[in-house]
Amino acid sequence: MSHWVIAPVLLPGMMAAIIILAARYHPMLQRTFSLATVGICLAIALGLLVSVADGTIHLYQLGNWAAPFGIVLVADRLSMLFVVLTLFLAIPVLLYAMGSGWDMRGRHFHALFQFQIMGILGAFLTGDAFNLFVFFEVLLLASYGLMIHSGGATRLRVGVQYVVFNLLGSTLFLFALGTIYAELGTLNIADIAARVAQVPAENSAGVRVAAVLLLLVFAIKAAILPLHFWLPATYSTAPAPVAALFAIMTKVGAYSIIRFYTIAFPPDLEVTQGLFDTWLLPGALLTLAIGMIGVLGAKRLDRLVAFAVIGSMGMLMTSVSVFTPEGIAAALYYAVHSTLATAALFLLVDVVRTRRAGHDLHWVQAPPIVGGALVAGMFFAAAIAMAGLPPLSGFVGKLLILDAALADPRMAWVWAVILTSSLIAVVGFSRAGSVIFWKAHAPMPDPALRETQSDEQPTPEQNPDHHSEPQPALPMVAIGTLLGAIVLVTVFAGPINLYLNATAAQLFAPGPYISTVLDTPGKVITYTGKDDHGDKGADKDADHKEEDH
Amino acid sequence: MSLFLIVALPFIGALLPGLMYQAGRQACAMATFFVTLTAFIGLMTHLPAVLAGEVVQARVEWLPSLGLNANFFIDGLGFFFAALILGIGLLIITYGRFYLSRKDNMGEFFTYLLLFQGAMVGIVLSDNILMLLVFWELTSLSSFLLIGYWKHLEEGRQGARMALTVTGMGGLALIGGMLLLGNIAGSFDLTVILENREVIQESPLYLPALILILLGCFTKSAQFPFHFWLPHAMAAPPPVSAYLHSATMVKAGIFLMARLWPVLSGTEAWFYLVTGAGLITMVIAAIIALFKNDLKGLLAFSTVSHLGLITMLLGTGTAYGALVAVFHILNHATFKAALFMSAGIIDHETGTRDITRLGGIRRLMPITFIIATIAALSMAGIPLFNGFISKEMMLKETTKTVLFGAPLLVPVLATIGALFSAAYSFRYIGHTFLGPVRDDYPAKPHDPGIGMWGPPALLCVLVVGIGVAPFLAEPLVFLVTEAVLGNAATLPDEHLKIWHGVNAALWMSVIAVFGGLTLLAAYNPVARGWAKAGPPAAKAIFDAIIHAVVSAATWVTATLHNGALTRYAAIFGVTVVALGVHAYFTGSATAPTREMLPMEPVAVVAWILLVTATTVLLVYHNYRYLALVLTSIVGLVIALGFAYLSAPDLALTQISVEVVTAILLLLALNFLPRETPLESGALRRLRDGAIAGAAGLGAAALIYSMLIRDALGTPISEYHLANSYKGGGGTNVVNVILVDFRGFDTFGEIIVLGIAAVIIYALTETLLSSPVRARLLNRPMGNKAGDAHPLMMVVMTRVMMPIVLMVGVYIFLRGHNEPGGGFISGLVVAIAIIVQYMASGFDWAEKRQRYPYHGIIGAGVLIAGLTGLGAFFFDTEFLASSFGYFRIPPFEEFELATALGFDLGVFLCVVGAVLLSLESFSRLGRRSGEQSSEYAMDIAPSRDDTAEKEA
Amino acid sequence: MEILVASAVGILTAAGIYLILRKRTFPVILGTAFISYAVNVFLFASGRLAVNQPPVLQDDVTLYSDPLPQALVLTAIVIAFGMTAVVVMIGVGAYLSSQDDHIDDLDEVPPGQQDQTGDAS
Repeated sequence: MSHWVIAPVLLPGMMAAIIILAARYHPMLQRTFSLATVGICLAIALGLLVSVADGTIHLYQLGNWAAPFGIVLVADRLSMLFVVLTLFLAIPVLLYAMGSGWDMRGRHFHALFQFQIMGILGAFLTGDAFNLFVFFEVLLLASYGLMIHSGGATRLRVGVQYVVFNLLGSTLFLFALGTIYAELGTLNIADIAARVAQVPAENSAGVRVAAVLLLLVFAIKAAILPLHFWLPATYSTAPAPVAALFAIMTKVGAYSIIRFYTIAFPPDLEVTQGLFDTWLLPGALLTLAIGMIGVLGAKRLDRLVAFAVIGSMGMLMTSVSVFTPEGIAAALYYAVHSTLATAALFLLVDVVRTRRAGHDLHWVQAPPIVGGALVAGMFFAAAIAMAGLPPLSGFVGKLLILDAALADPRMAWVWAVILTSSLIAVVGFSRAGSVIFWKAHAPMPDPALRETQSDEQPTPEQNPDHHSEPQPALPMVAIGTLLGAIVLVTVFAGPINLYLNATAAQLFAPGPYISTVLDTPGKVITYTGKDDHGDKGADKDADHKEEDH
Repeated sequence: MSLFLIVALPFIGALLPGLMYQAGRQACAMATFFVTLTAFIGLMTHLPAVLAGEVVQARVEWLPSLGLNANFFIDGLGFFFAALILGIGLLIITYGRFYLSRKDNMGEFFTYLLLFQGAMVGIVLSDNILMLLVFWELTSLSSFLLIGYWKHLEEGRQGARMALTVTGMGGLALIGGMLLLGNIAGSFDLTVILENREVIQESPLYLPALILILLGCFTKSAQFPFHFWLPHAMAAPPPVSAYLHSATMVKAGIFLMARLWPVLSGTEAWFYLVTGAGLITMVIAAIIALFKNDLKGLLAFSTVSHLGLITMLLGTGTAYGALVAVFHILNHATFKAALFMSAGIIDHETGTRDITRLGGIRRLMPITFIIATIAALSMAGIPLFNGFISKEMMLKETTKTVLFGAPLLVPVLATIGALFSAAYSFRYIGHTFLGPVRDDYPAKPHDPGIGMWGPPALLCVLVVGIGVAPFLAEPLVFLVTEAVLGNAATLPDEHLKIWHGVNAALWMSVIAVFGGLTLLAAYNPVARGWAKAGPPAAKAIFDAIIHAVVSAATWVTATLHNGALTRYAAIFGVTVVALGVHAYFTGSATAPTREMLPMEPVAVVAWILLVTATTVLLVYHNYRYLALVLTSIVGLVIALGFAYLSAPDLALTQISVEVVTAILLLLALNFLPRETPLESGALRRLRDGAIAGAAGLGAAALIYSMLIRDALGTPISEYHLANSYKGGGGTNVVNVILVDFRGFDTFGEIIVLGIAAVIIYALTETLLSSPVRARLLNRPMGNKAGDAHPLMMVVMTRVMMPIVLMVGVYIFLRGHNEPGGGFISGLVVAIAIIVQYMASGFDWAEKRQRYPYHGIIGAGVLIAGLTGLGAFFFDTEFLASSFGYFRIPPFEEFELATALGFDLGVFLCVVGAVLLSLESFSRLGRRSGEQSSEYAMDIAPSRDDTAEKEA
Repeated sequence: MEILVASAVGILTAAGIYLILRKRTFPVILGTAFISYAVNVFLFASGRLAVNQPPVLQDDVTLYSDPLPQALVLTAIVIAFGMTAVVVMIGVGAYLSSQDDHIDDLDEVPPGQQDQTGDAS
């Protein structure tokens, strides 16, 4: 059995420990370690992606204990998709953090970053519900640390809110897990699925509560109304690279919903019907609407992007709640797209903030920013992608989702909300862009600003406000990478979609997943000690011995 | 040349101007020109095939699962439009090269222009309607950039956004329409769709699809009531207006109607919607145009009016109507582009576009005068110019069109439109060129270089040419018309000729022309009347709407997300309870299956203690120290509960965690206000109480409903119990689960601890390197006990220290078989060290501990991890444990498990994390001027303090 | 017995939620502590209740309380401890840097006035 599956989870964790232990006073060492780890993990993950593409499901039994008794990691198409996405996202984000000097504006950025990666990847890979909780905590705690990285009054106050709200979420998660264990006596996802299928209809109450509580827990992560409130302030005040990395965190929620509701609590099961299928779509549509309204109504650029994140999650979950293979595939495509697009936007926002010479991100007229043309171009591209206009991935994603919704009885609602909200988003983005990038060229209202305006634009070096950039090219390279990725995702929409359709198919036929997890034998117990305590449950483990041999 | 290349060329070429920006204006223009020229020639290579009536195709798959493919095809219609776009494009590029001033960034301009050109060509050559959508939206975007090209102009930015909003809306509607259409036809390929007229028109989705598609077309082609954006797009540089807003982009909607004519037209809905909209637009726009004083405004509305005319013709659904439409598209493109360029020239040379400031420049700008006049007369529909012929045919068509059962309605309205059209055409000539020469032109008017008047002149040649010898255009027009009709109708055997004999149409146009003249003669009074009674400006309405929407959005956003966590939490609580209850009661539960445990007095006492502590806390929570104490009491009661309910490990953990938490909170309170002001009113408290109560009830009910029943399946812990000893080598099953069965959880758990400590450390650093530091230094001293480190305590702790450590080690070692283990012992040891801090102060203890806590944490995680990795060497999974029994005489046999190593990691991590956190706190606590004593205790008999003080 | 535990869970949850709905950081933190008490007991009880049956294997004892929830709760307690430590620290930090321990960050409306410490460096 290969150990590749656990490598992406283990490497970042160990690397973080090493950074804490050995490299905490050596910035360059930290940067190198950090980047190298992510790079290696990405390589491994890509390898795994290829190996699961044909439908293979890798099972990794920790401590060699057979599921459901021990914890297992499961690598299938879905989890590998998100693992690769996370690691790919991490690289430009790291580059940006280094290029902009963000990583050195406080302590332990890289250690926390690695822990964050570990948490996210663990959440994607684990096959055990409680272990999922543990990894949620890892990624959450790391995110708290990253969110308040480099301090500042606003950031800390928002930080408290973020932490408290998520503590509520974590607690709810435990309530759900307790209910699951009390009802089903198991924690392994595949085993839950197997046992839920056995649950008699007259005893469904407990399982239903567990299912809906889990849905709510994940809804917090996925920022679905009315549990999205933590997001705008958090994302808009978090350090830019962190906000960009958070683009994947909302996807963790989406992933968990997809995972649990395709395998464990399918709405077509009598026991679990009328929960997911009743609540998710309205919530998702509301989320989409409120998000895009926020894009129009936000009073600052960074909050605009934060609301765009909410909107995109609404879009994604709408597609999920259609709950057909097409819908899930479309949702997955949209997840990839929106992760890249939002990350790019957050980084761009930071570039604007740094270069906008203290005029901040409000809709006020400021002198043209350094290298305006390039930044504006990149913003235009990212905004197009985000607003779902051609020719970029957002448009493809929107088409896929609209098409998937055609079959749904509530199709009219879905279409109405999607189309209207994207119009609102277009208006919002065009407004923002024209104020930030165009209005700058208009004659300044007050003379104080006017002299700062000059026809030939100063290069970054000349610009005094352009601080904390050891290598000014790097941030732009990072953003460029993300935009390039968006283009690739668009151009290769065909092949990508093939993979995603396969993924959706795998999700809707959970048989192999369950059997792989449950039927793989684990550790063979060879007992050699002196034989007191022998009588304890001898019969029980006897039959386990049989199945092991 | 491959169709792909023809479409791709402008996009690829779009890079050139940007790159060649350094090389200068000429280079940019040339690059653009030759790119366009190449594409044009490439297009012409298809002419023979098209004339032969063939359909050239080029296909490549993009997203087959959706049906979105890069398929292109070229037939008469596509060819016609492509030629129009590229041909006029060439003229515009030449014109623009000379029009733009030195200040304008030409690289940017031509980049945008080429992007637009590519998108347009893409629209007219797309075979796949989803592909068409892509290009459709691209035109909106590129026109957004082009209209906003002069960034410093307020109206430029606004016009750009208005155009994007309106056309963007249309585009979104079109997406819907196209998806519906494709799903009806079962394919997104036009070539297939055009074959399925019946299927589509009989489908129940036909009407919604039609409406959505028409929304797209009308917004793009500025049909009423979406006509208002076009005039405001005139803030764009004249070359742009001439190109996008007369010749090409605004024709995209027309093109799409023509393209889908075979499958969509001929139904009631189509007729009323299209003809109706076209007719209204034609008349209204013509009237407005007459009273515009801005040359480009006048031309803009005239464009709208003529687009309305074409739309109306397509709406009739007759083959003849289609024929006339095609013919007029051609004519309008020629004379209107020429007019826009002439307007640009006037603006460029005289410095104004305001008709009231012009007049009499006939002699100053003779060439421009001739060009403008020819074009304008054609627009007015004067014989011998191409405009006349198509207008005649249009009027003829209207006489056969009956709307709402009123046979005269259409012809009369059409005549009125034609009349105003003639009027504004005459005004364009009269009020601009004729009349006395003035001496107050903003600039000194003179004719421009050939570079600027050449292109329009060329178009005028066409105007006259077609006007005099229409049969020259006949083959082209017929070819295109056939393409439009597809197999839905056959070409009428009409011919394009100047003289159709004396018929109704002739009289109508006579009326129109002379009516126009008289109207112009009486212009001033009429204009004054219009100014009084005229309709409100559409822009005002649009702006009002947008403003309303924006402020609404702002309000909603700000009100919903007002930063009040308390409210967010309340909403969270309500949601959870509501959905939980719903889920429970939509399911069902059976009768209890377990018998209850007896309620023993000791348990009841503990329960009462817990309840009282909690209630007192709720009442007096504003006294923070009290609240803290009560919290600890609750924690201890819970620990007892665990012990009582046969969970010794939990009890131990709970107690030790309780202690550490208490210390932590005490340290925190050191920096926070001592009391919580009572802020929330009775109503608020009631609300919160209700929510809290509901949540509490929910939780209690849920757990109770489970406690009275058995699990539906055998708990997996049966296996753990059975194999803990044989498989895990420990009799304390909980510990074996922690370090073996579910060791991975524990691994995550210690990492959580590590992260927590690291965050606390990092935040402390950040705070101490921020203004906060100063604030801390100047903190007023709390009343400090004279004897902060009392002798008794110091001595006690010294004695305790080794004992506690021993206990810690003992708990650690027995953990695998008896209650205990790495975590608990870690906490115990941590506490032992903390006590030293408390007894003798930070610095004293600091001096005496050698290992950096960072290191301890890191080492902990590493050791735990490596123990797990150790398994790899035995070629089994991460964390796979093994154990054996050893005997060192005279001791009794004892066991060593690899799990012990893992537990050691846990132990170290806990110690490091706890101490690092507390250390960070105490570092915050150090005040300025505080003499950190290097002695263990402040007052020691062994030490002569008085002597010290003197020294 | 069960009723005692269940009611205890309910009371702890209610108290926790109530405190979390207060307006200052400190009570909110206590609130989180309370709901984690509640959920720990809840999770523990999910293995059903038993008296004098500690899951420590001994000869000729066949009845043990369910060890798994105990292990889970142990993990949960530790994690909760870490979380509390962090939220306390951030709370203190927020108070020290803004001299205000309100949990609601109402300066967000209107966001215009928010002090944007884009970076504290």
